[in-house]
Amino acid sequence: MREFQPVPARPAPVKTVGPVAWARANLFSSIPNSMMTLFVMALFVYFIPPIVDWAFLSANWTGTTEDACVRDGACWVFVKAWSYQFFYGTYPEEEVWRINLMLGLLVLVIAASFTLPKHIRLKASVAAWLLLPLVGIAVLDGRLLGLNQVTTDLWGGFTLNVFMAAASIIVAFPFSFLWALGRRSEMPFIRSVSIIFIEFFRGVPVLSLFFMGSVMLPLFFAEGTNVDKLIRVWIVLIFFMSGYMAEVFRGGFQAVPSGQYEAADSIGLSYWQKILLIILPQVIKVSMPNILATFVMLFKNTTFLLIIGIPEVVQTLQTALSNSYWLGGHALEGYLFVFLVFWSSCFSMSLLARRIERQMNTDKRG
Amino acid sequence: MSAVKSSSGAEDIIVIENLNKWYGNFHVLRDINLRVKKGERIVICGPSGSGKSTTIRCINRLEEFQEGSLVVDGVEMINDVKNIETIRKDVGMVFQHFNLFPHLTILENLTLGPIWVQKKPKAEAEATAMQYLERVKIPDQADKYPGQLSGGQQQRVAIARSLCMNPNIMLFDEPTSALDPEMIKEVLDVMVELAQEGMTMLCVTHEMGFAKKVADRVIFMDAGQIVEENEPNEFFNNPQNERTKLFLSQILNH
Ligand SMILES: Nc1ncnc2c1ncn2[C@@H]1O[C@H](COP(=O)(O)OP(=O)(O)O)[C@@H](O)[C@H]1O
Ligand SMILES: [Mg+2]
Repeated sequence: MREFQPVPARPAPVKTVGPVAWARANLFSSIPNSMMTLFVMALFVYFIPPIVDWAFLSANWTGTTEDACVRDGACWVFVKAWSYQFFYGTYPEEEVWRINLMLGLLVLVIAASFTLPKHIRLKASVAAWLLLPLVGIAVLDGRLLGLNQVTTDLWGGFTLNVFMAAASIIVAFPFSFLWALGRRSEMPFIRSVSIIFIEFFRGVPVLSLFFMGSVMLPLFFAEGTNVDKLIRVWIVLIFFMSGYMAEVFRGGFQAVPSGQYEAADSIGLSYWQKILLIILPQVIKVSMPNILATFVMLFKNTTFLLIIGIPEVVQTLQTALSNSYWLGGHALEGYLFVFLVFWSSCFSMSLLARRIERQMNTDKRG
Repeated sequence: MSAVKSSSGAEDIIVIENLNKWYGNFHVLRDINLRVKKGERIVICGPSGSGKSTTIRCINRLEEFQEGSLVVDGVEMINDVKNIETIRKDVGMVFQHFNLFPHLTILENLTLGPIWVQKKPKAEAEATAMQYLERVKIPDQADKYPGQLSGGQQQRVAIARSLCMNPNIMLFDEPTSALDPEMIKEVLDVMVELAQEGMTMLCVTHEMGFAKKVADRVIFMDAGQIVEENEPNEFFNNPQNERTKLFLSQILNH
């Protein structure tokens, strides 16, 4: 009898592609393609140098006042002089460590949700996330912890955008899960209420919701109570977000095979045990990239808060632009700065989402 | 084997009478009558779509039915939540696609039911789980996740997961049809062992070797009905119904 001898594994053949071969294959593969390439190159040559010149070479970097901007490039002095306000609004400078502390905690909780050991990760990170808004209010406001109170009209700048978005999505999280569950319910009443709610908040522009929050919501509170404007807006954002995230979760629910429900039923778990122990963790996991995408959307939408006079970063920028000491017309620099700050935070979140997605795909195969 | 087979006098642990079920207008189960004695091993076979899965899923109330009666271990299956819970603690089920919980380790898959449903202390549940993992011969996989195991290993974990709940009845719905040929045996071995220990078993399977070896009765279903039932030798060698003959010739001749 012959013995089976497996052929030893060989390395895959190496594909050598030099830059010239690459360019020929991708940029000059045909006459129209080559013309297109040359045209785009010409555009670059024409536009890039003036931009570089304006933004860097003849830009004004040093100084603290309008008068320092003497060269005809960008006046980055403006951005520098206002950077505290852009980030922290009018929060008192000696208390700003509280904002930084909360930013640090936010980063810490995000990191923990991805790096904690697998068996405690879900429980620990859910608890940390749900505590975060409460801790945030306590720290930033200060009264509960015996610190000086910083009233909410002083909160502002880019960190306000971050905190509003984060605090809204966290509180919206459990609600949206319930809405998604309601939408799948077999009870017609619960199902229709959920559908109406979800579709209402998905179908209405967030701007009109903000107006409702600042004008209409007070009508629902008992007379005489003066609920903080920021809290009213927070409530609006929570509703808005839970409508969107309910749809994200609905997709997540559909990704969990029916066999999971059947297996949970067959070992006798109750409805809520089944949902919380078996289904929820899987739904969160598959929904993670979409949750992040929804968060990016919400985060950008927080700039609309300027319409109702909340001093988030764009509102702060407009205040700076109309300041009588800075009337040199620095809108371009200011908006470019806001653009860069938003773009870099949103882009890093997209990268994170993509990393999670890749990780999920390898998990599935493993 | 024949001693167990005719253990007359043993009580009926499952009694199904005139069971009828519809999916909308589709009459999926028609006048099903079946009595199963304690310790009996029943194999159910039949063409795809004949209602085999639906029948056994009625037994642990994964499916509802519209007419007839079903008594499991003395408990009548009605729409009462308490009854359903009692039954589910008493009846284990193994699925074609294993249905392990992918976000939990093997050990957590096994201890989830005992801890949350039977309210056992964690340590006790883990000790029992390890015993069952040893019985299905994979104690070394306890801390892995289902995705890291082969199909055969996953199905053995699924069997152990059901056994951890200490059921009196085990239902198997085509437990080997999603497995590669080389893994079928390791799962069947576990099932044979379970049968020899006297577990009441209802298996939907086309593994005729398994049926011949352990079944007390083989049931053939078609179009939502029980066409023929008999003890395995008679069933395979001397089928009475033309439909049964056709089916057997199809599954045995390839
Ligand atoms: N949820 C359902 N809704 C409608 N029809 C179904 C459903 N589940 C199964 N069926 C139909 O019922 C019949 C019996 O299904 P099943 O019991 O799974 O058959 P088997 O297990 O014998 O292959 C099939 O025709 C199938 O298409
Ligand atoms: Mg089936």
